[in-house]
Amino acid sequence: MKKCILLARSNLRGAKGQAAAITALILFAAVMLNLWLMLSLDYKQNFDRCHDRLHAEHVTLVVDEDSPDMRDFLKKSLEDDTRTDEFAFDSVLHMVGSFDYNNGNVNSELVILEKETALTRSIGRVEILEEGSAASGVYLPVLYKSDRTAVGKTIDISIGNSTMTYTVCGFFNSVMAGSHNCSMCALVLTDDLYAELERSGHAPRATLCSVRLNDRADSESYESGLKNTVAARYPAARTVSNSYALVYQSRYISQMVCAAILSAMAFFILLIALVTLYSNITNYIREHMTNLGALKALGYTGRQLTAALMMQFLSIALLSAAAGAGLSYSLFPYLNAMMIAQTGIPYTVRFLPVPYGITLLLLGSAVAVTVWLSSRRIKKVEPIVALRRGMQTHSFRRNHVPLETAGMPVTPALALKTTLSDFKRNITVCITMLMLSLVVVFSGLMTENIIRDTTPFLNLIVGETADSCINVQEDIEDDFLREMAADQRVEKIYLYNSLEVRHAGGLGLMATVCDDFSKVNNPKVICEGRFPRYDNEIALAAKYARENGLKTGNEITMTAEGREAAYIITGFTQTTNNLGKDCLLTLDGYRRLGRLSNASYYLNVAEGTDIDAFHAEVTDRFKDGVNATVNVAATIGGATAVYVSLMTILVIAILSLSALVITFVLFLLVRNMLNHKKRITASKRPWALPQASSFCRRLCPSCRQ
Amino acid sequence: MKNILLKTEQLSKSFSTGGTLQHVLKNISLELCQGDFTVIMGASGAGKSTLLYALSGMDTPSLGTITFGGRVISDMGQDELAVFRRSHCGFVFQQIYLIEGMSLMDNVLAAGLLVSKDKKALLAKARELFSCVGISEDTWKKFPAQISGGEAQRAGIVRALINSPEILFADEPTGALNSKTGLDVLDTLTRFNEQGQSVVMVTHDMRSARRGSRILYLKDGAILGECRLGRWAHGDRERHEKLSAFLSEMGW
Repeated sequence: MKKCILLARSNLRGAKGQAAAITALILFAAVMLNLWLMLSLDYKQNFDRCHDRLHAEHVTLVVDEDSPDMRDFLKKSLEDDTRTDEFAFDSVLHMVGSFDYNNGNVNSELVILEKETALTRSIGRVEILEEGSAASGVYLPVLYKSDRTAVGKTIDISIGNSTMTYTVCGFFNSVMAGSHNCSMCALVLTDDLYAELERSGHAPRATLCSVRLNDRADSESYESGLKNTVAARYPAARTVSNSYALVYQSRYISQMVCAAILSAMAFFILLIALVTLYSNITNYIREHMTNLGALKALGYTGRQLTAALMMQFLSIALLSAAAGAGLSYSLFPYLNAMMIAQTGIPYTVRFLPVPYGITLLLLGSAVAVTVWLSSRRIKKVEPIVALRRGMQTHSFRRNHVPLETAGMPVTPALALKTTLSDFKRNITVCITMLMLSLVVVFSGLMTENIIRDTTPFLNLIVGETADSCINVQEDIEDDFLREMAADQRVEKIYLYNSLEVRHAGGLGLMATVCDDFSKVNNPKVICEGRFPRYDNEIALAAKYARENGLKTGNEITMTAEGREAAYIITGFTQTTNNLGKDCLLTLDGYRRLGRLSNASYYLNVAEGTDIDAFHAEVTDRFKDGVNATVNVAATIGGATAVYVSLMTILVIAILSLSALVITFVLFLLVRNMLNHKKRITASKRPWALPQASSFCRRLCPSCRQ
Repeated sequence: MKNILLKTEQLSKSFSTGGTLQHVLKNISLELCQGDFTVIMGASGAGKSTLLYALSGMDTPSLGTITFGGRVISDMGQDELAVFRRSHCGFVFQQIYLIEGMSLMDNVLAAGLLVSKDKKALLAKARELFSCVGISEDTWKKFPAQISGGEAQRAGIVRALINSPEILFADEPTGALNSKTGLDVLDTLTRFNEQGQSVVMVTHDMRSARRGSRILYLKDGAILGECRLGRWAHGDRERHEKLSAFLSEMGW
């Protein structure tokens, strides 16, 4: 052990620069690796911890009816299902609504609870995270906390056609309804304001049904089945629901994207570190051949010399990995803040021994294997040969592409010879360039498609975009359409309504119903095949189709409102909205299943139109006939602002880190090359002979080194 | 009757270069005794160093056997030979080969720790040896690049002797040194030999050869002749003449 320490110390003395660069590379890899592991292993578990702590539900269903008959029916249905563990009913107010968020709007199905009810629910209670002194006002999900919505400030919340101004009393955490990504968004009102809103009739009373299951893996199918059961009995009742699976996935999309990027970076940096290490050790053997020979002459075995190298690099790796993993804890709060802005679920940064241990183990093992592989040649070094002829005998150089047998012209043969003779260095350069290209392409794509112009990102994430969305009741639909057709500001209007249907024998799908798909703004929603044109056609989410082995031309049976109809699949959709569980139907196609009691219309308006003023005008004209208006651009802007800022930070971080890594690798390469050249000395210039033999510099690849 | 430390029988060594077999050592049979100062001489390419490295277990013979202290070392593998060398042989090279990244003391300890785990005892012994070869404490803390060639070679001798080897093998130890420092090194080797250390030295320098008690002359890989000079004594004229006559007879 002592002798290995002596040797390792001596080696380090002679290669401080290389040791520093490898330390830095492993440090960066450890930072990335530990961040990735913390995000992957613990961050999502935080959702389950939070879910358990608040005794949250696995399936949530809100039905716009709060009658004893409805509750009895629900109770019986739930009790009859063996998958049910426990359930609870609460009275809430339910209406589509919106409020300011991230310089835009958040538009969601608002589930409004009275404060005492929210805090004391037997299933899915909310926890207050921050509270001010105001006795009357609203509590918002913590996701929406910002300078503009700080405690004590006022916020305008549109509920249906009315805008209410409330004082922000505080912020709460709700696992299943604490974000617009959950299909519904909870708001908590103090009892006086709740009573006032209830009396005003702006938001109808509804039943909030919260169900805990024996096995949370059943949540999706349970939700779908429950919704269909209710729809069959109460076809006119408006419902909104979510499941554990949907919320779990949708609240952690950003975390997954971030974790994937971090892991890719971590493994790339690690790969570069290992290739550099490999190259360094083989160079070390070549450069220190006489030293190795002398040590072997003294009685060192190949194994002992390898052990010294192993100790040297393992201590560097483990110390750097420990420091890097430790350093990641100083960066994690910033990452955590970005993630909480996406997930809306509080997470307390704490020391996580498992990711820390895995980081050390992974980096340590990778370095150990690399050292072992690269130092195997030491065993072959014979002391006498190494001492008497040193480097030349053990240069390990092969005569790649012997000119006497090479079946190619001399210039490419020489080029190939040069390339192969510096194979390891070329591999390092290749991997570095690969990483550089990947980083540049990734950063370019992200900058172009998300940061600079969000359209491609929105096309993929949101699917269809327009300037405005107006939801109207059936009885004013004709008048509304007539007026819109006559309005000079309206450039295009088409029905674009989302509602739930169920694939017979499968899951519930979000169906988008359109009267004419040729009018949609984003035809790229279809990635294969075409939009449905006739009432017996359907386009299906590609992910869902792949999972169920469905192809274009196949027939699929859908159910809704107690009816069934068969459709032919005409194409596949590619939006990530609804987590790949959606479909497209024509209006006539949907009418085979049910009736649209109210319809959402998407409008493109002339440039410069004040959309909010336009909505106010339409609402004023049709009064209660308009259920809701949505400023689509503002809503999308609010939701995408977080993604854009997250991506900007990631791109900057990735570019900075890559620049550092590439600098270190180039430093190591140049240093190795210079050391090597120094040893060979001017008398052994590889280009001298070809030049003397009438090769011009242009023809001789070695000359360009 | 002296103890036989090392014995070779029909020792041969051949190299294959470019498809041609070169016989560097041919059927060498000899015995080396405890306390001898054996000098191997010969012209360049005679096989002196090859014989030295074969005798010391640094190289393996093509044919024949080498018995060292009753153990046949010619059949040992590389690792076995390394373990054997560390406690039975000491080496002094022409190019010295101190490890550049280690101080002189560390160079010595790197060899010593191979055999003993008692660092304290090793340090004491190293200090004593450094003192014997005239290297002060200030110098042994220095790195090889910071000292003279003579000091480096004397440090090399300390490194070679730290494990109290049965035989000290020296391959032209004064070859890279000037006259004055070369003499210091020879004096050091002679002094250790006088204390009972067996030495085998390869040289083509007459002044160095005079220190030996037994001279072997190699020609074309075979021992052409042998001359016994007895113990070294400063200013021994008769010894010088005897060696000159022997070398002259050998065609030197």
